[in-house]
Amino acid sequence: MNTAVSDPTRDSIVQASRREGLIRIMMPLALLGSTYMLAAVVNPRFLTWDAARLQLTLAAFIGLVGIGQTLTILIGQIDLAIPWNITLSAIVSTNVYGQTGSISLCLISALLVGLGTGSLNAIGVAVFRIHSLIWTISVNLILEGITFVYTSAAAPAHTVPPLVRELGSGSINGIPWPIVIWAIAAMVVILWLGHTKFGREIYALGNNELATLMSGVRPGKIYLVVFLVSGAASAFVGLLLTGFAGQTYLGMGNAYLLIPIAAVVLGGTSLSGGVGGYLGTFVGSIIVVLLDSVLLSVQMSEGLRQVCFGLIILIMMLLFRNRPSS
Amino acid sequence: MNLRTVIPAQAIPSIRSSLPAALGLFTVLVFYWVQQPLILSDFGVTSLLNQSVALAIAAMAQTLVVISGAVDLSVGATIGLTTCFGATYMGGSPQMAVLLIVASLFLGAAAGALNGVLVSFGKLEPLIATLTTSFVYSGVSLIIRPTPGGSVPAWFSSNLSGSWGYVTASGILLVLCVLGIWIPLMRSRIGRDIEAVGNSEQNAYLSGLSPRRAKIFAYGGSGLLSSVAGLFLLAQTGSGDAAIGQVYTLNSFACVVLGGVSLRGGKGTFLGPVLSAFLLSIVVSALLAWGVSAFWQNLVQGLILILVLVSAGIPVLRSRSWIRFVRGQVS
Repeated sequence: MNTAVSDPTRDSIVQASRREGLIRIMMPLALLGSTYMLAAVVNPRFLTWDAARLQLTLAAFIGLVGIGQTLTILIGQIDLAIPWNITLSAIVSTNVYGQTGSISLCLISALLVGLGTGSLNAIGVAVFRIHSLIWTISVNLILEGITFVYTSAAAPAHTVPPLVRELGSGSINGIPWPIVIWAIAAMVVILWLGHTKFGREIYALGNNELATLMSGVRPGKIYLVVFLVSGAASAFVGLLLTGFAGQTYLGMGNAYLLIPIAAVVLGGTSLSGGVGGYLGTFVGSIIVVLLDSVLLSVQMSEGLRQVCFGLIILIMMLLFRNRPSS
Repeated sequence: MNLRTVIPAQAIPSIRSSLPAALGLFTVLVFYWVQQPLILSDFGVTSLLNQSVALAIAAMAQTLVVISGAVDLSVGATIGLTTCFGATYMGGSPQMAVLLIVASLFLGAAAGALNGVLVSFGKLEPLIATLTTSFVYSGVSLIIRPTPGGSVPAWFSSNLSGSWGYVTASGILLVLCVLGIWIPLMRSRIGRDIEAVGNSEQNAYLSGLSPRRAKIFAYGGSGLLSSVAGLFLLAQTGSGDAAIGQVYTLNSFACVVLGGVSLRGGKGTFLGPVLSAFLLSIVVSALLAWGVSAFWQNLVQGLILILVLVSAGIPVLRSRSWIRFVRGQVS
């Protein structure tokens, strides 16, 4: 791209979009600040490094899942096959390790489950043009069915490989590995989205599919890459969760259906696609974890927490919805 | 185009669109009957109806919203909410129980209408709005009833799942839903408005209709029907369970697609989806009867769903050109 030529219109558009991006990230930051203050008032222990480390580790799992969810939402789709993708990849990979004792086969099997889910999602959405919400939720049901048949609905035998255990619960210089991995992944994704051609194509596809098509971009490839990244990220989180909890169990991914979406929405990414970014999701992941911990620490029941979460997401969606033709 | 929403003769193409479901149901019934002749006895018919009617009513609920051009992912959560509400508060006295049945119906209609308000006044994407409210509704169910349980009066469950020869209570309930809710709603002006909004929201607005009112009624009707399905499930199981409805969200949608209702909205009838509900329930119960393990149930249902969705998407493959397809969606 020839950037030497200064085009006043283009410059002002870039400036305007930067300004809007800045406004969009202010809201989640303000929300994070107020949630943190609320947490400190409820229980001063939230201010300690030990508490912050745990919160950030939990946020890392949501944030890593949120990479895939941010990308799919940016192209105007959604990935609801995440919960059982996490569970199935964790169960299959630990089982493979238990049978073969090979760490590389374990990692490859998890990756295969993730990529398989991703390509199945992409086929439904890009080839058969079925709305991703319906298609991926059906894929999720199939993954659940496969998991049940594979394990006969019994608690799976688990042999957690040492490497997975180290990645999930170990730390380097006092910083847990999930946080380190998340920070690196976040930087890569932010650079990828903001500074590459492919990143721009993702935004273009989410903004206006017809216009993107007309300008010669092949959307099938974008759908495929985005769903593959989402599938692989979920499978990786499945491994991390196994290492963190030291075991696998049926339904271990169930919490990752709506909460990462909440993180994406709280981070200011519009559910109609094309607007937002991963930095917002990064902040949003910390907000949801902190909020959940606060609700837990005042002994709120599971039902009440669900209601609170749902209402918060609804309110945020109403605040962040796309204004007509702005 | 506009004539179609005015002339009642629209029923004819709707019946034609339910033909595949009817043929499928007939084939499955014949196969099942050859294997197990007892299914056509009064006992067999009662048990088949009892297995299918909840899904059939849920499919009607989903169809109503699909006709308005949207999707309701909170059908299952509303069903779960109704069962929890009923199982917890339905006391011993008949007056209290009747009051609670009426209250449950209001609760369902209100939950649906809230979806409608979020979609019309809040301008939220229907899919994501109803997904989020489904989370809220099942949260409320969990608050009412953290673990599955509760009880219902004996007369309530025996009456709703009983039968008199071939005349079953569940069949009567289904007919009541059609005659008491569907036909009055869809034959009224509101019903026409719902179809018009599904056809084209902009045209409906420009013709002086209120798309907001139509959407609120479509979602409200969906919530009402969902709560009827929930009450029926409650009578069958006798307990409240926040998670019992989950499968109904997806399956009701599968019934709509299988029943030949266009996902673009604007037209459709209850017939195809109801027949598909019978078809799906009978396939699942036949598989179980043939000794397929219950672990396979999710997988089989998921595969059926995906096949149905793919067959709905096959026309897209025929059109080949993406530009033509996307343009068709935009306009």
